[in-house]
Order: sequence, then C-alpha cells, then structure tokens
Amino acid sequence: MPGSARLDPDLAQLAIEHCYEQDWSDGLPLVPVSQPLLDRFLAQSSRGPQEIIGSLEQVGRECTVELAAINAAMAGCRPEYFPVVLAAFEALMLDRAARGGGFQSTSGPAPLIVVNGPVRGELGFNAAGGAFGPGFRANATVARSVGLIVRNVFGIKPQVLEQATQGLPGRWSICIAENEEESPWEPLAAEAGLPAGTSAVSATLLRTCEFVDNRHTQDPQQVLWDFADTISRTGALIFKETSCGVVFCPEHAQLLAGAGFTKNDVKDWLIEHCGRTQAELRRAGKDGVSENHVRFAADEPGVGESGGGFTRILPSRQHVPVMVAGARNAAISMVVRVFGLWSGTPVAVETRADAAAAAS
Amino acid sequence: MPNAILDPTGGAGPALASAPDGAPGGALAPRRADLAGARVGLLVNTKQNADLFLAEVGRLLVERHGAASVLARTKVNFAQPAPEDLLKELTTECDVVITGIGDCGSCSASAVTDGVLLECRGTPAAVICSDAFRGSADAIAGLRGAPGYRYATTPHPVAVLNPDQVRDRAAAVLPDVVALLVAAAGAS
Repeated sequence: MPGSARLDPDLAQLAIEHCYEQDWSDGLPLVPVSQPLLDRFLAQSSRGPQEIIGSLEQVGRECTVELAAINAAMAGCRPEYFPVVLAAFEALMLDRAARGGGFQSTSGPAPLIVVNGPVRGELGFNAAGGAFGPGFRANATVARSVGLIVRNVFGIKPQVLEQATQGLPGRWSICIAENEEESPWEPLAAEAGLPAGTSAVSATLLRTCEFVDNRHTQDPQQVLWDFADTISRTGALIFKETSCGVVFCPEHAQLLAGAGFTKNDVKDWLIEHCGRTQAELRRAGKDGVSENHVRFAADEPGVGESGGGFTRILPSRQHVPVMVAGARNAAISMVVRVFGLWSGTPVAVETRADAAAAAS
Repeated sequence: MPNAILDPTGGAGPALASAPDGAPGGALAPRRADLAGARVGLLVNTKQNADLFLAEVGRLLVERHGAASVLARTKVNFAQPAPEDLLKELTTECDVVITGIGDCGSCSASAVTDGVLLECRGTPAAVICSDAFRGSADAIAGLRGAPGYRYATTPHPVAVLNPDQVRDRAAAVLPDVVALLVAAAGAS
C-alpha cells in the first residue's frame, strides 16, 4: 500500500483531538482544516471570502463565505460540494423561522435540505434507496455543514443558546436529492419557477419526519386518507394552523399520478381532508385558539373556533410542499412536519462554469 | 513547519451593541430608593400567560409598593430584541420596566437582551424568566456585554398555568422584582 503507507494516523488523531478541545465539534470527529484545503473550497465559488451570506441579529453574528468554507471542510465535504453548501445555507436563511429563533428553539428543529438538478449526479447526491441517509458523503456532509455553521459561526450550542428539549434524530443530517427520474411530477425547483435542468437547493426547518407505510391498497383515496391521519395528529398541532409536507416514494407518487392526481391535486386533497373535529381537539386540550393563534385548553366547548365541527389545519398549497425521493421498492413515504413555513424559494447552485467565468 | 489548523468560529467577536451609541452593555441604570410614585412599564413578549403575569406584577407594584401607573406594551416578535421605537417609548414614559416571560429558547435570550438595552438607556429593568432557561439567559447577557446580569426567575412551567396560578406566581416573584429595581438598602 504505497499510498496509505505515507499517511500518519497518529498525527491525524492529534489534529482531530485538537478540534474537540476547541469545542468545535457536533460530537463526531472533524476534518482539521488547513489553508490549502480552505483555498480549494474558495476556488469553487466566485464569491469573495469576506462576503456575508447570512446573519443572526439577536446573537450579533454574521457568516462569511470563508467561515462557511471552513465549516464545510470540517464537516467532511469535498471542495466541489461547497457551492451546494452555500445554496443550502442561503435557502435555509430564507426561512423566516431560521432567521428568527428557530436555531435556539426548545423544539430543536432540523433543516430539511432538498437538492434538484444535474448537480445530484455530478456530485453523487443520493436520491434513491435510503434517501434520508445515512451512507452517502455528499448528502451527509452538506447537511452537517449547516449544523457546524450554526454552532461555530452563530455560536448557538446545545444547552446554552440552543435550548432543545429533546432535539430530534436526524438534526443536521437531512439532505435529500429529489428522485426526479422516477417522479411523475415536476421537480420541486421547477415547480417553484426555476428553469428545468437548473441545479438548486430548497430548505426549511422540520419538527420531525414520520413514515407512512401503505402497501395495502391501490385506491388513491385510501392512500391519501392514510397520509391525512398522520398529518392530522393532535400532538403536532401547536397553532391554529400548521404546515406539513410529504416526501413521496416513487411508488406512492406513481400510484397517485396514475389515478390522475397532479401535485396540486394532492395538495388540495390534503388541505381539504386534514384536520380534526372540535371534540377531538378538545379531548387533547387544544380546542381553544388565542389571539396570537396558539392553541389552548378552552374552559368551554367551542371557544375560539367557529362551530363545533371539522377544523382544517393546512391553509394553503404553500403549507404542503410535495416532493419525491427514495427507492421504488416499497410504498413507504415520509411526512415532513415543517417548523414554520417553507419559503417556497429554491436557490440555484453556482456552476463551475459560473465560477470560472467570474474568475477570468 | 506544518500548516495551522483554521478556526471555524471567526473568533469570539466583540460584545453586541446594547447602548444607543453602539457601545456594549454592562452598566446598570441608577436605582430609585423605592417604587413610590414610579411609572411602571410592562414589556410583554406574547408567550402564553405573559400578559396576565406581567399585568399582575404591575398591579401589585401599584397596590403594595405605591407605584403610580402601569403602561403595558407588547413586542410582536418574541425571538428578537424589542425595536428601538418601543424601547424609546418605554424609557421616556416609564421609570422602571418589567419584561418577560422568558419561557422559550429564543425569548429567554431576547428578554434578557431587552433588559440590558433598557439599562443602557437609563431605565432600570426587571427581566422575568422561567428557571429552566438560565443557560440561555446567562449566555446572552455575556454576549451583550453584561455578564452576570441579574434577573428574576419563576419555576417552570408557565404556559400551562391557569389564571389563579399565574397570579400566585406573580405574587411570589414580586419581592425579587422589587429587589432588582430599587437600590439595595445602605447602598449609596
């Protein structure tokens, strides 16, 4: 092994331990970053190292391109992933909840990062089996980069400025590529208005992901009712209304499309059918709605709601993002419970040609 | 000579601006000897039960400590510091201000920030946080240039309390609020 024989594991271990001692780590080993590695990351983008790509007013911190690059390198990214990290971070900061108190929240929300376009294949983002991970370097390290930026650049660390009660499995590790090839519908980025074939990243904060396993029927209404049950559970209902998306597996998506459902038809069906009766909400102590739209246990039935009947909880199509990922080997999909509201705006990934043109 | 390992934090950074001139916080506003005749401001952050909690504190300051009046204001975004125009109104119209309830990750930090901002503008403040959020409250005080900034705590939880329980909590925290707002006995 002429290659690995020249590598020094003992020196590598010392550098990794140094990073732990500085309190930079999310708990897992970091790649120690040197100036030559940083330079390879910065060369992937036309943006200047000191350009500010996001700020958090309440903690007085700003993230520059250079700091994002150091954290992306520490997370284990290859340099060529860096434009995707920049797009992912920018997309996440379009989410109002991320700019507000999301990263400090007791709910400990996780970014959901969705990659569209040719960059998926070029950089090896997994869109198929095991889309939610783990096992794929591009998906895992891009998501981890965002977590390290929040920790190190914004200075929001667990049990200090970050007050997650329990956090959630998958925080800083959810980066999926959309399975555009097996989706019957247009990709998320195209739906949001970007030209077909554009590489782009969308992002929002999630409270959690919950599977819906329905390999039991070919009836699209029955399948959608199964989704409606998970989406409508009272435990997730904090406010008068909520936002909840679905990452359909190819089999569910194709079943619905085959029955004539467009993406918007699916959203409209869920808007119409997701919700609870006032009695069910009352049973869970969530039948009242305050002036600032927070649910509470009302003293009397019917307070704060119109009538005693069925209450819908998804107010618009923007509250029901729909995309497709995973293998076509089973009818298992994921309900993704949005923390605030997805901005609906994907961010285009700068291409190598863009960066080269800017550099020349 | 090996390459240095690069720092991903950008350094600790300067303390956040707290005073109107851009300076960090840290100095407490001058304290009154007592609250007799004081105009009390309430900075309500919209968290569940914050309005009733602070209103009851205000009422008790009038009833038991001779405060002259109570002015309640609400900040719309609980995760962010209060906007400058709201701070200006409170510091102009009030002699002391109560802020809270710091009852979540972001709002505990921003409630303490509001306290530091008010102090820098010359108005004594008493911040009330749930005792589950001391970590966040203490950290932001340091970032705002006021390490060790003192605030009052009420036991967690607050959001689920009924109105009578909220009033009991307000009465329980009242001595700490008064102690934060007036000069210590014997102090010059």
